[in-house]
Amino acid sequence: MNILELIDVSKNFGGFTAVDSVSLEIEKGRVISLLGPSGCGKTTTLRIIAGFTSPDVGTVRISGNDVGRLKPYERNVGLLFQDYALFPHMTVTQNVAYGLRHRRTPASAIPSRVKQMLSLVRLDGMEARYPHQLSGGQQQRVALARALATDPQIILLDEPLSALDAKLRLELRIELKEILRSVGATTIVVTHDQEEALSLGDEVVVMRAGKIVQRGTPTQVYEAPADKFVAEFVGRSNWFLGSRPKGLGSYVTGDGLEIRAASELPNRQIGADLCVRPENIELVDNATAKTAVDRERNALSGIVLDVAPLGADVHVVVQLAGKTRLLAVRKNVRGTPGLVPGQPVCALFSASDVLVFHDQNAEVR
Amino acid sequence: MITKRNTDALLAFFVAAVIAITAVFLLFPVIVTAFIAFDAREYIGPFPPTALSPKWFGRLFHDPYLWSGFKTSVLLAIAATILAAAIGALGALGISRMSPQWRDLVTTTFLSPLVLPGVIVGFALLMFFSAFIPLPVLPKLIAGHLVITIPYTIRMTLIGLTGIKETLREAALNLGANERQAFFTITLPLAKNGIAAGAIFAFAFSMDDVATSLFLSDFNTYTFPVALISLMRSKFDLTIAAAAVVLMALTVVLLFVLDRVLGLERVIGQDLYRA
Amino acid sequence: MRAVGSRILLLLPVVAVFVLFLALPMLTVLNESFRTFEPGRIGSVAGAPLTTNNYTELIHQAYFRYFAQTYLLALCASLLAIIFAFPISYYIARLAPPWMRKASVSAIIGLMFLSALVRVYSIQLTFGSAGILSPIMSAVGVNTNGRTYIYVVIVAGLLHYAIPMSILILIGAIQNLNPRLTEAAQSLGASALTSHLTITIPLCIRGLVSAFLVSMTLGISAFVIPWILGRGRVLFISNLVYSRFSEVANYPSGAAISIVMMVLSILLIYVMSRLATSLDRT
Repeated sequence: MNILELIDVSKNFGGFTAVDSVSLEIEKGRVISLLGPSGCGKTTTLRIIAGFTSPDVGTVRISGNDVGRLKPYERNVGLLFQDYALFPHMTVTQNVAYGLRHRRTPASAIPSRVKQMLSLVRLDGMEARYPHQLSGGQQQRVALARALATDPQIILLDEPLSALDAKLRLELRIELKEILRSVGATTIVVTHDQEEALSLGDEVVVMRAGKIVQRGTPTQVYEAPADKFVAEFVGRSNWFLGSRPKGLGSYVTGDGLEIRAASELPNRQIGADLCVRPENIELVDNATAKTAVDRERNALSGIVLDVAPLGADVHVVVQLAGKTRLLAVRKNVRGTPGLVPGQPVCALFSASDVLVFHDQNAEVR
Repeated sequence: MITKRNTDALLAFFVAAVIAITAVFLLFPVIVTAFIAFDAREYIGPFPPTALSPKWFGRLFHDPYLWSGFKTSVLLAIAATILAAAIGALGALGISRMSPQWRDLVTTTFLSPLVLPGVIVGFALLMFFSAFIPLPVLPKLIAGHLVITIPYTIRMTLIGLTGIKETLREAALNLGANERQAFFTITLPLAKNGIAAGAIFAFAFSMDDVATSLFLSDFNTYTFPVALISLMRSKFDLTIAAAAVVLMALTVVLLFVLDRVLGLERVIGQDLYRA
Repeated sequence: MRAVGSRILLLLPVVAVFVLFLALPMLTVLNESFRTFEPGRIGSVAGAPLTTNNYTELIHQAYFRYFAQTYLLALCASLLAIIFAFPISYYIARLAPPWMRKASVSAIIGLMFLSALVRVYSIQLTFGSAGILSPIMSAVGVNTNGRTYIYVVIVAGLLHYAIPMSILILIGAIQNLNPRLTEAAQSLGASALTSHLTITIPLCIRGLVSAFLVSMTLGISAFVIPWILGRGRVLFISNLVYSRFSEVANYPSGAAISIVMMVLSILLIYVMSRLATSLDRT
């Protein structure tokens, strides 16, 4: 059953269309990531669901009920704010109990519920502390406990991991997923960070300029992006822009490089933008390359421009003939021969790893 | 030789000199007065005092004229402070919810008494009351002091309110509190420091006012500063020094309380004195 | 709609106080300023004919002197205040260690809270003609009874409030200025003096004008300071209004002087704000 339904929701702010005819259904228990750059409308959508903004057009249904007219305090939607919004003049217990108190939970039931919530987020013992006495990660847990305490039908997380440093982010990401799963909460995570979106969500919804551009599992969104925007926004990519089709299954780039691609565009007459993910590019010396070339693989020769050892990965930038540069990412596994700037090298990638999109500029021609 | 290093050294010396001279200029008279209040002599003689005695304080407390003025002042200050704090706090809350273009205009209007001479406020009120609403002296004084002190309470409450993030109120609404409940459980408790600071300013400036009170006082009901100033013009003796020390002590107390309530740093932090 | 309602409700008490105790009284004053005054009566008689005499008589030379005294002395004090306050504010804002900062700010706010009477009394006690320092002054050859000396003492009195006020305003202005700018100037070769003259001060113009304006308005409105320290020989406009009221009961004239004072103040604020905006290059 759908916990949340947005039907043709639009919102305008004085001439600027923040949300443009957005329709979304979310089933019970699912975690959805709402991903997009700033200004794409994800935050406005969040505020519409929570009740701080009302849509100009469209319906919002929670558990089948039209909530359009309901104020924030009349809906049971949990909200984890980006800055946590913990009440500085109240203790952890008072913060967590706030929602319970104002939703008329019997006073006798409140202490045990608070305790239960604090155990859930692993903050037992912090009941009497004030927010300013807690670390960032602890504050976030309190905010989560507070949002979950009233057993909301749907939980909204606004950039939950953005305020934390990299190590903490990884720890909390795992904990967050466990907690949400154990409670069985239907969740929407709003974020501009694609790593956050891909790692937290069962499904990813990509938004741009107020519209939903793609919805799918993290793998689908990454490996089969709907358009150039999604391909570029999610994950790193190497682009061959403005390529023209040449014969069956291959294209010629602006620099005259020939690329073989396995996927086809519906209309072959129009130009294309080609994309290859850096981890799909293998770098070998020119001699080995000659034996590897076949109809299924591309081999482009070039010179190593920059090598950046980043711990677990090594990022290598290769300058190809013409203006194109490629980023190749290889694992820093013992035994892999190192590369140095200036070294001639050959970039190998298979035709099936090439993503093909319509060149929007070409269509104007 | 005029090098950059030399000019910088001169600059540093000049700045140090300015700071020293100003500090002495501002503090010396105050310190002198504090000492003189304990002077055992009957007249104002050369400094420093030859012998010390608290007798002027005795004369101060036993002077019915001054004492009556003191009681009136305190009563007046408390009444004006409570009213000004309440009215000003409500006003500041209203202002904080306005859209930016209105906010500046309204704030400037309500802060305008700060630049109005006290005599004009007193004069205008006196004329208005005698022409239209006859009132006993004390309410008239309260009215005058309200006009003087409300700008301070509004200002300080606004400073306190700017520290409260909007997301806190939204979080309260999201958790089930309606607007009224959110106001009383979140906004008001967090604003109380600003409100208290405003009350302190109101009390200080109410106790201090001379010009307005001079117009609104009469023979029977008058404030402490009004009493002191008549004394100063007639008989320039050291009872006034004792009174001055009492007022200085009051100032120190107020400073201390202000620091506990809002923190002195915040008073200067955001433009309190934008003209 | 509900939101607007709550806003109106919140502002109602303030508006009520302002209308009742400020706006209406001021209108009364305005009205009174156009009434004829009959000597011997208190204020104007009800139904007295309207006249502009109260205003026109102010153009007379005698009144002009009072206005000139007030404005010139206030101007002196305000200029001196920002000149002295700026280095001090700079020191407190950027160079002072935290305890020194706290102590200075406490002292400054304390001086502002301190009753005007205490300040005036202390100055009279110290610098007055019968004061502590007068023997030293006389020895140096300063005429403590001369008019010039009275001017100096009044300016000193004004400074006792203007300097702390200016310091507080300027601290705010300097705190809003990015310290890296001065450092950049110095790394490019400017001495500290030049960098402050060309960078710090121009970028603080708004604060300087604001401090000047506040000192000016307070100086012009001064009542207690000229009343005591002026010793009857130097009067400010506020004292003039008071004497009209208490000594002569010529309310219409007092009203007219008040209105003129207000108009001049508003003009001053307006001119200075425009000046600040035009000089401001941030």
